[in-house]
Amino acid sequence: MTVDQLIDWFPISATWPGLTFLLAVLICAVPVFLFIAVYALVVIYGELKISSFMQDKVGPMGQGVGLHAWRWGLLQPVADALKLILKEDIIPASADKKLFILAPFIVFIGAFIAFSALPFSQTLIIADMNIGVFYILAVSSLGVIGLIMAGWSSNNKWSLYGAMRSAAQIISYEIPAALSIIAVIMLTSTMSMQGIIQYQSGFIWGFLPNWLIFNNPFTFVAFFIFFISGVAECNRTPFDIPEAESELVAGAFTEYSGMRYAFFFLSEYANMFVVAGVAATAFLGGWQSPIPGIFNSPAWGLWWFMSKTMFLIFVMIWFRWTFPRLRVDQLMSACWKGFTPIALVNIFGVGIWYLTLG
Amino acid sequence: MIKYLATIWETVTTLLTGMGVTWRHMVAIRRDNVTLQYPEERWPRPERDIGFDHNKYNVIRSRLHVDIDDCIGCLKCERVCPVDCIKIDTVKVLNRGADIPNIRHKGITSFGTKKALVVTRFDIDMTECCYCNLCVYPCPEECIYMTGGPNAEKHDIDYEFSEYDRNDLIYRFAKKVSDEDVTNATTETQEVTD
Repeated sequence: MTVDQLIDWFPISATWPGLTFLLAVLICAVPVFLFIAVYALVVIYGELKISSFMQDKVGPMGQGVGLHAWRWGLLQPVADALKLILKEDIIPASADKKLFILAPFIVFIGAFIAFSALPFSQTLIIADMNIGVFYILAVSSLGVIGLIMAGWSSNNKWSLYGAMRSAAQIISYEIPAALSIIAVIMLTSTMSMQGIIQYQSGFIWGFLPNWLIFNNPFTFVAFFIFFISGVAECNRTPFDIPEAESELVAGAFTEYSGMRYAFFFLSEYANMFVVAGVAATAFLGGWQSPIPGIFNSPAWGLWWFMSKTMFLIFVMIWFRWTFPRLRVDQLMSACWKGFTPIALVNIFGVGIWYLTLG
Repeated sequence: MIKYLATIWETVTTLLTGMGVTWRHMVAIRRDNVTLQYPEERWPRPERDIGFDHNKYNVIRSRLHVDIDDCIGCLKCERVCPVDCIKIDTVKVLNRGADIPNIRHKGITSFGTKKALVVTRFDIDMTECCYCNLCVYPCPEECIYMTGGPNAEKHDIDYEFSEYDRNDLIYRFAKKVSDEDVTNATTETQEVTD
Protein backbone atom coordinates (compact mmCIF):
# COMPACT_ATOMS: atom_id res chain seq x y z
CA MET A 1 0.00 0.00 0.00
CA THR A 2 1.66 3.19 -1.13
CA VAL A 3 0.51 6.71 -0.46
CA ASP A 4 -0.39 7.14 -4.15
CA GLN A 5 -2.71 4.13 -4.04
CA LEU A 6 -4.24 5.53 -0.87
CA ILE A 7 -4.96 8.85 -2.58
CA ASP A 8 -6.53 7.11 -5.57
CA TRP A 9 -8.65 4.95 -3.30
CA PHE A 10 -10.27 7.91 -1.51
CA PRO A 11 -13.66 8.73 -3.10
CA ILE A 12 -13.17 12.49 -2.49
CA SER A 13 -9.85 12.67 -4.26
CA ALA A 14 -11.29 14.32 -7.36
CA THR A 15 -13.21 17.03 -5.54
CA TRP A 16 -10.78 17.94 -2.77
CA PRO A 17 -7.31 16.80 -3.84
CA GLY A 18 -5.55 18.89 -1.18
CA LEU A 19 -7.63 17.44 1.66
CA THR A 20 -7.16 13.92 0.34
CA PHE A 21 -3.43 14.38 0.18
CA LEU A 22 -3.36 15.67 3.76
CA LEU A 23 -5.49 12.75 4.97
CA ALA A 24 -3.38 10.18 3.16
CA VAL A 25 -0.15 11.61 4.54
CA LEU A 26 -1.63 11.59 8.04
CA ILE A 27 -2.78 7.99 7.65
CA CYS A 28 0.76 7.04 6.66
CA ALA A 29 2.56 9.19 9.23
CA VAL A 30 0.71 8.19 12.39
CA PRO A 31 1.39 4.43 12.14
CA VAL A 32 5.03 5.14 11.28
CA PHE A 33 5.36 7.30 14.37
CA LEU A 34 3.72 4.64 16.52
CA PHE A 35 5.96 2.02 14.94
CA ILE A 36 9.07 4.07 15.77
CA ALA A 37 7.93 4.49 19.37
CA VAL A 38 7.16 0.80 19.87
CA TYR A 39 10.28 -0.32 18.02
CA ALA A 40 12.41 2.05 20.15
CA LEU A 41 10.98 0.51 23.32
CA VAL A 42 11.79 -2.99 22.06
CA VAL A 43 15.30 -2.07 20.99
CA ILE A 44 16.02 -0.17 24.21
CA TYR A 45 15.00 -3.28 26.14
CA GLY A 46 17.13 -5.42 23.86
CA GLU A 47 20.08 -3.11 24.23
CA LEU A 48 19.80 -3.11 28.03
CA LYS A 49 19.69 -6.89 28.11
CA ILE A 50 22.33 -7.55 25.45
CA SER A 51 24.75 -5.05 26.96
CA SER A 52 24.28 -6.60 30.37
CA PHE A 53 24.77 -10.12 29.08
CA MET A 54 27.96 -9.08 27.31
CA GLN A 55 29.23 -7.71 30.61
CA ASP A 56 28.20 -10.79 32.61
CA LYS A 57 25.31 -8.98 34.29
CA VAL A 58 21.61 -9.72 34.19
CA GLY A 59 20.25 -6.32 33.22
CA PRO A 60 16.90 -4.99 34.36
CA MET A 61 15.03 -7.63 36.33
CA GLY A 62 12.67 -5.77 38.65
CA GLN A 63 10.14 -4.07 36.38
CA GLY A 64 7.41 -6.25 35.04
CA VAL A 65 4.47 -8.36 36.01
CA GLY A 66 4.47 -11.56 37.99
CA LEU A 67 7.00 -13.53 39.96
CA HIS A 68 10.59 -12.44 39.98
CA ALA A 69 11.74 -15.31 37.80
CA TRP A 70 9.17 -14.33 35.16
CA ARG A 71 9.54 -10.58 35.23
CA TRP A 72 12.83 -10.14 33.37
CA GLY A 73 12.46 -6.35 33.53
CA LEU A 74 10.07 -6.41 30.61
CA LEU A 75 8.49 -3.08 31.51
CA GLN A 76 11.83 -1.30 31.96
CA PRO A 77 11.59 0.70 28.68
CA VAL A 78 8.02 1.71 29.59
CA ALA A 79 9.29 2.94 32.94
CA ASP A 80 12.10 4.80 31.16
CA ALA A 81 9.67 6.45 28.76
CA LEU A 82 7.35 7.42 31.61
CA LYS A 83 10.30 8.90 33.49
CA LEU A 84 11.33 10.98 30.45
CA ILE A 85 7.78 12.26 29.99
CA LEU A 86 7.45 13.24 33.64
CA LYS A 87 10.81 14.98 33.82
CA GLU A 88 10.97 18.75 34.06
CA ASP A 89 11.49 20.47 30.74
CA ILE A 90 14.38 22.84 31.34
CA ILE A 91 15.44 25.57 28.90
CA PRO A 92 18.66 27.27 29.99
CA ALA A 93 18.30 31.00 30.61
CA SER A 94 21.08 31.89 28.18
CA ALA A 95 19.94 29.48 25.47
CA ASP A 96 18.73 30.61 22.07
CA LYS A 97 15.20 29.64 22.88
CA LYS A 98 13.67 29.25 19.41
CA LEU A 99 16.47 27.10 18.06
CA PHE A 100 16.68 25.15 21.31
CA ILE A 101 13.02 24.17 21.06
CA LEU A 102 13.16 23.47 17.34
CA ALA A 103 16.33 21.34 17.28
CA PRO A 104 15.02 18.00 18.62
CA PHE A 105 12.16 18.03 16.13
CA ILE A 106 14.44 18.68 13.16
CA VAL A 107 16.68 15.83 14.23
CA PHE A 108 13.65 13.59 14.58
CA ILE A 109 12.12 14.66 11.28
CA GLY A 110 15.37 13.74 9.52
CA ALA A 111 15.01 10.19 10.76
CA PHE A 112 11.22 10.11 10.46
CA ILE A 113 10.80 11.06 6.81
CA ALA A 114 13.38 8.48 5.73
CA PHE A 115 10.85 5.82 6.75
CA SER A 116 8.62 6.82 3.85
CA ALA A 117 10.96 5.12 1.36
CA LEU A 118 11.70 1.95 3.34
CA PRO A 119 10.18 -1.14 1.67
CA PHE A 120 8.71 -3.13 4.56
CA SER A 121 7.34 -5.78 2.22
CA GLN A 122 6.32 -6.32 -1.41
CA THR A 123 3.23 -4.14 -0.97
CA LEU A 124 3.97 -2.15 2.16
CA ILE A 125 5.93 0.95 1.25
CA ILE A 126 4.73 4.49 1.72
CA ALA A 127 6.28 5.92 -1.43
CA ASP A 128 8.21 3.79 -3.91
CA MET A 129 10.12 6.68 -5.44
CA ASN A 130 12.37 6.15 -8.43
CA ILE A 131 15.09 7.93 -6.43
CA GLY A 132 14.44 6.02 -3.18
CA VAL A 133 18.03 5.38 -2.07
CA PHE A 134 19.09 8.89 -3.03
CA TYR A 135 16.17 10.32 -1.07
CA ILE A 136 17.07 8.37 2.07
CA LEU A 137 20.73 9.36 1.84
CA ALA A 138 19.68 12.98 1.40
CA VAL A 139 17.15 13.26 4.21
CA SER A 140 19.20 11.29 6.71
CA SER A 141 21.80 14.07 6.63
CA LEU A 142 19.10 16.54 7.66
CA GLY A 143 19.73 15.51 11.27
CA VAL A 144 23.07 17.29 11.19
CA ILE A 145 21.30 20.65 10.96
CA GLY A 146 19.29 19.82 14.04
CA LEU A 147 22.37 18.68 15.93
CA ILE A 148 24.24 21.89 15.10
CA MET A 149 21.17 23.89 16.12
CA ALA A 150 21.05 22.02 19.41
CA GLY A 151 24.74 22.51 20.05
CA TRP A 152 24.72 26.18 19.14
CA SER A 153 21.54 27.15 20.94
CA SER A 154 22.49 25.40 24.17
CA ASN A 155 25.17 28.05 24.71
CA ASN A 156 27.44 25.48 26.28
CA LYS A 157 30.94 24.47 25.27
CA TRP A 158 30.26 20.74 25.53
CA SER A 159 27.21 21.06 23.33
CA LEU A 160 29.06 23.09 20.71
CA TYR A 161 32.00 20.68 20.67
CA GLY A 162 29.62 17.77 20.28
CA ALA A 163 27.70 19.49 17.50
CA MET A 164 30.84 20.39 15.54
CA ARG A 165 32.19 16.89 15.93
CA SER A 166 28.95 15.29 14.82
CA ALA A 167 28.74 17.59 11.81
CA ALA A 168 32.27 16.69 10.77
CA GLN A 169 31.61 13.00 11.36
CA ILE A 170 28.24 12.68 9.65
CA ILE A 171 29.29 14.67 6.58
CA SER A 172 32.50 12.63 6.27
CA TYR A 173 30.78 9.28 6.58
CA GLU A 174 28.08 10.23 4.08
CA ILE A 175 30.74 9.87 1.39
CA PRO A 176 31.76 6.20 1.83
CA ALA A 177 28.11 5.32 2.47
CA ALA A 178 26.99 6.95 -0.76
CA LEU A 179 29.93 5.52 -2.74
CA SER A 180 29.18 1.98 -1.59
CA ILE A 181 25.51 2.47 -2.50
CA ILE A 182 26.66 3.58 -5.98
CA ALA A 183 28.20 0.12 -6.42
CA VAL A 184 24.74 -1.32 -5.79
CA ILE A 185 23.00 1.09 -8.13
CA MET A 186 25.48 0.24 -10.89
CA LEU A 187 24.37 -3.39 -10.76
CA THR A 188 20.63 -2.84 -10.30
CA SER A 189 20.40 0.18 -12.66
CA THR A 190 17.64 1.60 -10.47
CA MET A 191 17.46 3.77 -7.36
CA SER A 192 13.94 2.62 -6.47
CA MET A 193 14.02 0.58 -3.27
CA GLN A 194 11.57 -1.99 -4.64
CA GLY A 195 13.58 -2.17 -7.86
CA ILE A 196 16.77 -2.92 -5.94
CA ILE A 197 15.03 -5.72 -4.06
CA GLN A 198 13.43 -7.17 -7.19
CA TYR A 199 16.90 -7.39 -8.72
CA GLN A 200 17.93 -9.68 -5.87
CA SER A 201 15.49 -12.52 -6.56
CA GLY A 202 16.54 -16.04 -7.48
CA PHE A 203 19.81 -17.85 -6.92
CA ILE A 204 23.44 -16.96 -7.49
CA TRP A 205 26.40 -19.34 -7.63
CA GLY A 206 23.85 -22.13 -7.76
CA PHE A 207 22.91 -22.23 -4.09
CA LEU A 208 23.12 -18.76 -2.52
CA PRO A 209 20.20 -16.33 -2.67
CA ASN A 210 20.94 -13.61 -5.19
CA TRP A 211 21.54 -10.96 -2.57
CA LEU A 212 23.94 -8.23 -3.57
CA ILE A 213 26.26 -9.05 -0.68
CA PHE A 214 26.90 -12.41 -2.38
CA ASN A 215 26.91 -11.00 -5.90
CA ASN A 216 30.64 -10.37 -6.14
CA PRO A 217 33.58 -9.65 -3.81
CA PHE A 218 33.26 -5.90 -4.33
CA THR A 219 29.66 -5.68 -3.17
CA PHE A 220 30.60 -7.91 -0.23
CA VAL A 221 33.12 -5.27 0.84
CA ALA A 222 30.69 -2.48 0.00
CA PHE A 223 28.15 -3.91 2.44
CA PHE A 224 30.57 -3.61 5.34
CA ILE A 225 31.64 -0.11 4.30
CA PHE A 226 28.03 1.00 4.06
CA PHE A 227 27.04 -0.59 7.33
CA ILE A 228 29.97 0.78 9.31
CA SER A 229 29.52 4.23 7.79
CA GLY A 230 25.86 3.96 8.74
CA VAL A 231 26.79 3.17 12.33
CA ALA A 232 28.99 6.26 12.26
CA GLU A 233 26.13 8.36 10.86
CA CYS A 234 23.94 7.22 13.75
CA ASN A 235 26.57 8.56 16.17
CA ARG A 236 26.76 5.20 17.86
CA THR A 237 29.73 3.70 19.63
CA PRO A 238 32.52 3.21 18.53
CA PHE A 239 31.81 6.38 16.54
CA ASP A 240 30.05 8.26 19.33
CA ILE A 241 32.52 11.10 19.73
CA PRO A 242 29.70 13.70 19.33
CA GLU A 243 28.17 12.58 22.61
CA ALA A 244 31.21 10.95 24.20
CA GLU A 245 29.99 10.72 27.79
CA SER A 246 33.44 10.63 29.33
CA GLU A 247 34.64 13.74 27.48
CA LEU A 248 31.66 15.89 26.55
CA VAL A 249 29.02 15.05 29.20
CA ALA A 250 26.37 14.33 26.54
CA GLY A 251 27.58 16.33 23.57
CA ALA A 252 24.89 18.32 21.83
CA PHE A 253 22.25 16.94 24.22
CA THR A 254 23.91 18.21 27.40
CA GLU A 255 21.34 20.89 28.17
CA TYR A 256 18.30 18.87 27.13
CA SER A 257 15.99 17.10 29.50
CA GLY A 258 12.66 15.36 29.53
CA MET A 259 10.70 14.99 26.32
CA ARG A 260 13.17 16.95 24.19
CA TYR A 261 15.98 14.62 25.21
CA ALA A 262 13.66 11.69 24.52
CA PHE A 263 13.21 12.95 20.97
CA PHE A 264 16.97 12.90 20.38
CA PHE A 265 17.03 9.41 21.78
CA LEU A 266 14.11 8.34 19.63
CA SER A 267 15.71 9.78 16.51
CA GLU A 268 18.95 7.92 17.25
CA TYR A 269 17.02 4.66 17.34
CA ALA A 270 14.97 5.62 14.29
CA ASN A 271 18.22 6.39 12.44
CA MET A 272 19.52 2.98 13.38
CA PHE A 273 16.44 1.43 11.83
CA VAL A 274 16.83 3.47 8.65
CA VAL A 275 20.49 2.51 8.26
CA ALA A 276 19.79 -1.14 9.01
CA GLY A 277 16.79 -1.06 6.69
CA VAL A 278 18.74 0.41 3.80
CA ALA A 279 21.60 -2.04 4.38
CA ALA A 280 19.12 -4.92 4.44
CA THR A 281 17.41 -3.61 1.29
CA ALA A 282 20.49 -2.86 -0.72
CA PHE A 283 22.67 -5.82 0.25
CA LEU A 284 20.63 -8.47 2.05
CA GLY A 285 17.68 -8.75 -0.30
CA GLY A 286 15.14 -6.74 1.70
CA TRP A 287 11.95 -8.73 1.83
CA GLN A 288 13.38 -11.57 -0.29
CA SER A 289 13.30 -14.94 1.44
CA PRO A 290 16.71 -16.51 2.17
CA ILE A 291 15.49 -19.58 0.28
CA PRO A 292 14.35 -18.10 -3.04
CA GLY A 293 10.98 -19.25 -4.28
CA ILE A 294 9.35 -20.16 -0.95
CA PHE A 295 8.07 -17.98 1.91
CA ASN A 296 7.81 -15.06 -0.49
CA SER A 297 4.30 -13.76 0.23
CA PRO A 298 3.95 -10.11 1.34
CA ALA A 299 3.43 -11.18 4.99
CA TRP A 300 6.58 -13.28 4.89
CA GLY A 301 8.25 -10.35 3.16
CA LEU A 302 7.52 -8.17 6.19
CA TRP A 303 8.94 -10.88 8.43
CA TRP A 304 12.14 -11.23 6.37
CA PHE A 305 12.67 -7.47 6.15
CA MET A 306 12.14 -7.01 9.87
CA SER A 307 14.34 -9.94 10.85
CA LYS A 308 17.18 -8.77 8.62
CA THR A 309 16.87 -5.21 9.92
CA MET A 310 16.67 -6.36 13.52
CA PHE A 311 19.71 -8.57 13.03
CA LEU A 312 21.69 -5.58 11.75
CA ILE A 313 20.47 -3.52 14.71
CA PHE A 314 21.64 -6.32 16.97
CA VAL A 315 25.04 -6.11 15.28
CA MET A 316 25.10 -2.36 15.99
CA ILE A 317 24.40 -3.06 19.66
CA TRP A 318 27.07 -5.75 19.55
CA PHE A 319 29.54 -3.18 18.13
CA ARG A 320 28.62 -0.71 20.80
CA TRP A 321 29.37 -3.03 23.69
CA THR A 322 32.54 -4.45 22.17
CA PHE A 323 34.58 -1.61 20.74
CA PRO A 324 36.13 1.35 22.53
CA ARG A 325 35.43 4.83 21.20
CA LEU A 326 37.64 6.13 18.38
CA ARG A 327 39.65 9.29 18.81
CA VAL A 328 38.68 12.20 16.55
CA ASP A 329 41.76 11.82 14.34
CA GLN A 330 41.33 8.03 14.17
CA LEU A 331 37.72 8.54 13.15
CA MET A 332 38.66 10.90 10.35
CA SER A 333 41.59 8.81 9.13
CA ALA A 334 39.42 5.67 9.12
CA CYS A 335 36.91 7.50 6.94
CA TRP A 336 39.25 9.32 4.54
CA LYS A 337 42.15 6.88 4.37
CA GLY A 338 40.21 3.65 4.84
CA PHE A 339 36.61 3.61 3.75
CA THR A 340 36.60 6.25 1.03
CA PRO A 341 39.49 4.81 -1.07
CA ILE A 342 38.16 1.28 -0.71
CA ALA A 343 34.68 2.44 -1.70
CA LEU A 344 36.13 4.15 -4.77
CA VAL A 345 38.08 1.02 -5.74
CA ASN A 346 34.85 -0.91 -5.24
CA ILE A 347 33.06 1.18 -7.84
CA PHE A 348 35.72 0.37 -10.44
CA GLY A 349 35.75 -3.26 -9.35
CA VAL A 350 32.01 -3.60 -9.70
CA GLY A 351 32.16 -1.94 -13.11
CA ILE A 352 34.86 -4.29 -14.36
CA TRP A 353 33.08 -7.29 -12.87
CA TYR A 354 29.83 -6.26 -14.51
CA LEU A 355 31.47 -5.81 -17.90
CA THR A 356 33.54 -9.00 -17.87
CA LEU A 357 31.58 -11.54 -15.83
CA GLY A 358 28.09 -10.07 -15.35
CA MET B 1 50.36 -0.92 -0.38
CA ILE B 2 51.24 -4.20 1.39
CA LYS B 3 51.40 -2.30 4.68
CA TYR B 4 48.05 -0.67 3.98
CA LEU B 5 46.37 -4.01 3.32
CA ALA B 6 48.14 -5.58 6.30
CA THR B 7 46.76 -2.83 8.54
CA ILE B 8 43.26 -3.45 7.23
CA TRP B 9 43.66 -7.18 7.75
CA GLU B 10 44.90 -6.65 11.31
CA THR B 11 42.03 -4.25 12.03
CA VAL B 12 39.40 -6.68 10.77
CA THR B 13 40.81 -9.71 12.57
CA THR B 14 41.27 -7.92 15.89
CA LEU B 15 37.78 -6.42 15.70
CA LEU B 16 36.35 -9.87 15.01
CA THR B 17 38.31 -11.28 17.95
CA GLY B 18 36.80 -8.65 20.21
CA MET B 19 33.32 -9.37 18.91
CA GLY B 20 33.93 -13.05 19.54
CA VAL B 21 34.78 -12.33 23.16
CA THR B 22 31.58 -10.37 23.79
CA TRP B 23 29.53 -12.98 21.92
CA ARG B 24 30.91 -15.78 24.06
CA HIS B 25 30.11 -13.82 27.20
CA MET B 26 26.60 -13.08 25.94
CA VAL B 27 25.67 -16.67 25.12
CA ALA B 28 27.22 -18.00 28.34
CA ILE B 29 25.41 -15.52 30.58
CA ARG B 30 23.93 -18.29 32.73
CA ARG B 31 27.42 -19.54 33.56
CA ASP B 32 29.24 -16.22 33.80
CA ASN B 33 26.60 -14.10 35.51
CA VAL B 34 28.08 -12.26 38.49
CA THR B 35 24.97 -10.40 39.67
CA LEU B 36 23.37 -11.60 42.86
CA GLN B 37 19.75 -10.47 42.75
CA TYR B 38 19.81 -9.73 46.40
CA PRO B 39 16.35 -9.96 47.92
CA GLU B 40 15.51 -12.99 45.79
CA GLU B 41 18.91 -14.66 45.96
CA ARG B 42 21.46 -14.72 48.78
CA TRP B 43 24.97 -15.94 49.13
CA PRO B 44 25.11 -19.15 51.10
CA ARG B 45 26.56 -18.35 54.52
CA PRO B 46 30.07 -19.73 54.79
CA GLU B 47 30.73 -22.48 57.30
CA ARG B 48 31.84 -21.16 60.64
CA ASP B 49 34.86 -22.62 62.36
CA ILE B 50 35.46 -20.67 65.56
CA GLY B 51 37.25 -23.31 67.61
CA PHE B 52 34.19 -24.77 69.26
CA ASP B 53 30.76 -25.98 68.34
CA HIS B 54 29.00 -22.70 67.82
CA ASN B 55 25.62 -24.36 67.89
CA LYS B 56 26.02 -24.75 71.64
CA TYR B 57 26.68 -21.09 72.28
CA ASN B 58 24.54 -18.14 71.44
CA VAL B 59 27.22 -16.38 69.47
CA ILE B 60 24.98 -14.97 66.76
CA ARG B 61 23.31 -11.72 67.66
CA SER B 62 20.99 -11.51 64.73
CA ARG B 63 17.48 -10.38 65.68
CA LEU B 64 15.38 -10.82 68.77
CA HIS B 65 12.42 -13.12 68.50
CA VAL B 66 9.75 -13.93 71.05
CA ASP B 67 7.69 -17.08 71.15
CA ILE B 68 4.69 -15.28 72.62
CA ASP B 69 2.86 -18.50 73.59
CA ASP B 70 5.65 -19.23 76.07
CA CYS B 71 5.86 -15.70 77.52
CA ILE B 72 4.56 -15.43 81.07
CA GLY B 73 4.84 -11.65 81.18
CA CYS B 74 7.43 -11.52 83.99
CA LEU B 75 8.95 -8.27 82.63
CA LYS B 76 12.51 -9.43 83.38
CA CYS B 77 13.63 -8.69 79.85
CA GLU B 78 11.99 -5.29 79.88
CA ARG B 79 13.77 -4.36 83.11
CA VAL B 80 17.18 -5.60 82.06
CA CYS B 81 17.17 -3.88 78.67
CA PRO B 82 19.80 -1.11 78.83
CA VAL B 83 18.15 0.96 76.11
CA ASP B 84 14.52 0.31 77.09
CA CYS B 85 13.55 -0.98 73.70
CA ILE B 86 11.19 -3.67 75.03
CA LYS B 87 7.68 -2.63 76.03
CA ILE B 88 5.35 -5.17 77.68
CA ASP B 89 1.76 -4.76 78.86
CA THR B 90 -0.04 -7.52 80.70
CA VAL B 91 -3.54 -8.20 81.97
CA LYS B 92 -4.36 -10.65 84.74
CA VAL B 93 -6.37 -13.70 83.80
CA LEU B 94 -9.31 -15.12 85.76
CA ASN B 95 -8.30 -18.76 85.86
CA ARG B 96 -4.57 -19.35 86.01
CA GLY B 97 -3.42 -21.81 83.40
CA ALA B 98 -6.64 -21.85 81.39
CA ASP B 99 -6.73 -21.34 77.64
CA ILE B 100 -8.79 -18.39 76.41
CA PRO B 101 -9.61 -19.27 72.79
CA ASN B 102 -11.25 -16.02 71.67
CA ILE B 103 -8.05 -14.05 72.29
CA ARG B 104 -5.88 -17.05 71.31
CA HIS B 105 -4.26 -17.16 74.75
CA LYS B 106 -2.46 -20.39 75.70
CA GLY B 107 -2.64 -21.17 79.41
CA ILE B 108 0.43 -23.38 79.84
CA THR B 109 3.92 -22.74 78.47
CA SER B 110 6.08 -25.38 76.87
CA PHE B 111 8.00 -25.57 80.17
CA GLY B 112 4.74 -26.42 81.98
CA THR B 113 4.28 -23.13 83.76
CA LYS B 114 0.72 -22.01 84.29
CA LYS B 115 0.37 -18.45 83.00
CA ALA B 116 -1.24 -15.85 85.25
CA LEU B 117 -1.06 -12.99 82.77
CA VAL B 118 -2.15 -12.27 79.23
CA VAL B 119 0.57 -10.42 77.32
CA THR B 120 -1.37 -7.78 75.39
CA ARG B 121 1.65 -5.91 74.12
CA PHE B 122 5.19 -7.10 73.53
CA ASP B 123 7.01 -4.59 71.34
CA ILE B 124 10.70 -4.63 70.57
CA ASP B 125 12.00 -1.53 68.82
CA MET B 126 14.80 -2.89 66.67
CA THR B 127 15.97 0.62 65.83
CA GLU B 128 16.94 1.01 69.47
CA CYS B 129 18.09 -2.53 70.18
CA CYS B 130 21.85 -2.69 70.81
CA TYR B 131 22.09 -6.48 70.40
CA CYS B 132 23.60 -6.88 73.89
CA ASN B 133 21.76 -10.17 74.39
CA LEU B 134 21.09 -9.24 78.06
CA CYS B 135 17.35 -9.88 77.76
CA VAL B 136 17.95 -13.45 76.64
CA TYR B 137 19.65 -14.71 79.82
CA PRO B 138 17.07 -13.85 82.50
CA CYS B 139 14.07 -15.25 80.61
CA PRO B 140 12.75 -18.12 82.76
CA GLU B 141 10.87 -19.66 79.85
CA GLU B 142 13.63 -19.14 77.26
CA CYS B 143 11.05 -17.58 74.99
CA ILE B 144 13.06 -14.51 73.96
CA TYR B 145 16.14 -15.32 71.96
CA MET B 146 18.32 -14.29 69.05
CA THR B 147 17.31 -16.03 65.84
CA GLY B 148 19.58 -18.57 64.17
CA GLY B 149 22.67 -20.21 65.62
CA PRO B 150 21.74 -22.49 68.51
CA ASN B 151 18.11 -21.41 68.13
CA ALA B 152 17.99 -22.25 64.43
CA GLU B 153 15.47 -25.01 65.03
CA LYS B 154 13.16 -22.51 66.73
CA HIS B 155 13.56 -19.68 64.25
CA ASP B 156 15.70 -19.35 61.12
CA ILE B 157 18.43 -16.78 61.14
CA ASP B 158 17.19 -13.37 60.08
CA TYR B 159 19.66 -10.56 60.17
CA GLU B 160 18.51 -8.71 57.05
CA PHE B 161 15.52 -6.67 58.07
CA SER B 162 14.73 -3.48 56.25
CA GLU B 163 11.51 -1.53 56.09
CA TYR B 164 10.21 1.50 54.23
CA ASP B 165 8.94 3.09 57.44
CA ARG B 166 10.95 3.35 60.62
CA ASN B 167 7.85 2.43 62.63
CA ASP B 168 7.75 -0.93 60.88
CA LEU B 169 10.98 -1.81 62.68
CA ILE B 170 9.04 -2.01 65.93
CA TYR B 171 8.32 -5.72 66.06
CA ARG B 172 5.01 -6.47 67.73
CA PHE B 173 4.99 -10.01 69.03
CA ALA B 174 1.75 -9.95 71.04
CA LYS B 175 -1.32 -11.54 69.49
CA LYS B 176 -3.32 -9.04 67.48
CA VAL B 177 -6.58 -8.91 69.39
CA SER B 178 -8.81 -5.98 70.26
CA ASP B 179 -8.68 -4.41 73.72
CA GLU B 180 -12.39 -5.07 74.10
CA ASP B 181 -11.94 -8.82 73.65
CA VAL B 182 -9.16 -8.86 76.22
CA THR B 183 -11.28 -6.90 78.71
CA ASN B 184 -14.22 -9.23 78.18
CA ALA B 185 -12.06 -12.31 78.60
CA THR B 186 -10.24 -11.20 81.73
CA THR B 187 -12.95 -9.53 83.85
CA GLU B 188 -15.69 -11.23 85.90
CA THR B 189 -18.88 -11.19 83.93
CA GLN B 190 -21.81 -9.95 85.98
CA GLU B 191 -23.98 -12.86 86.92
CA VAL B 192 -27.45 -12.03 85.74
CA THR B 193 -29.66 -12.51 88.74
CA ASP B 194 -33.30 -13.04 88.67
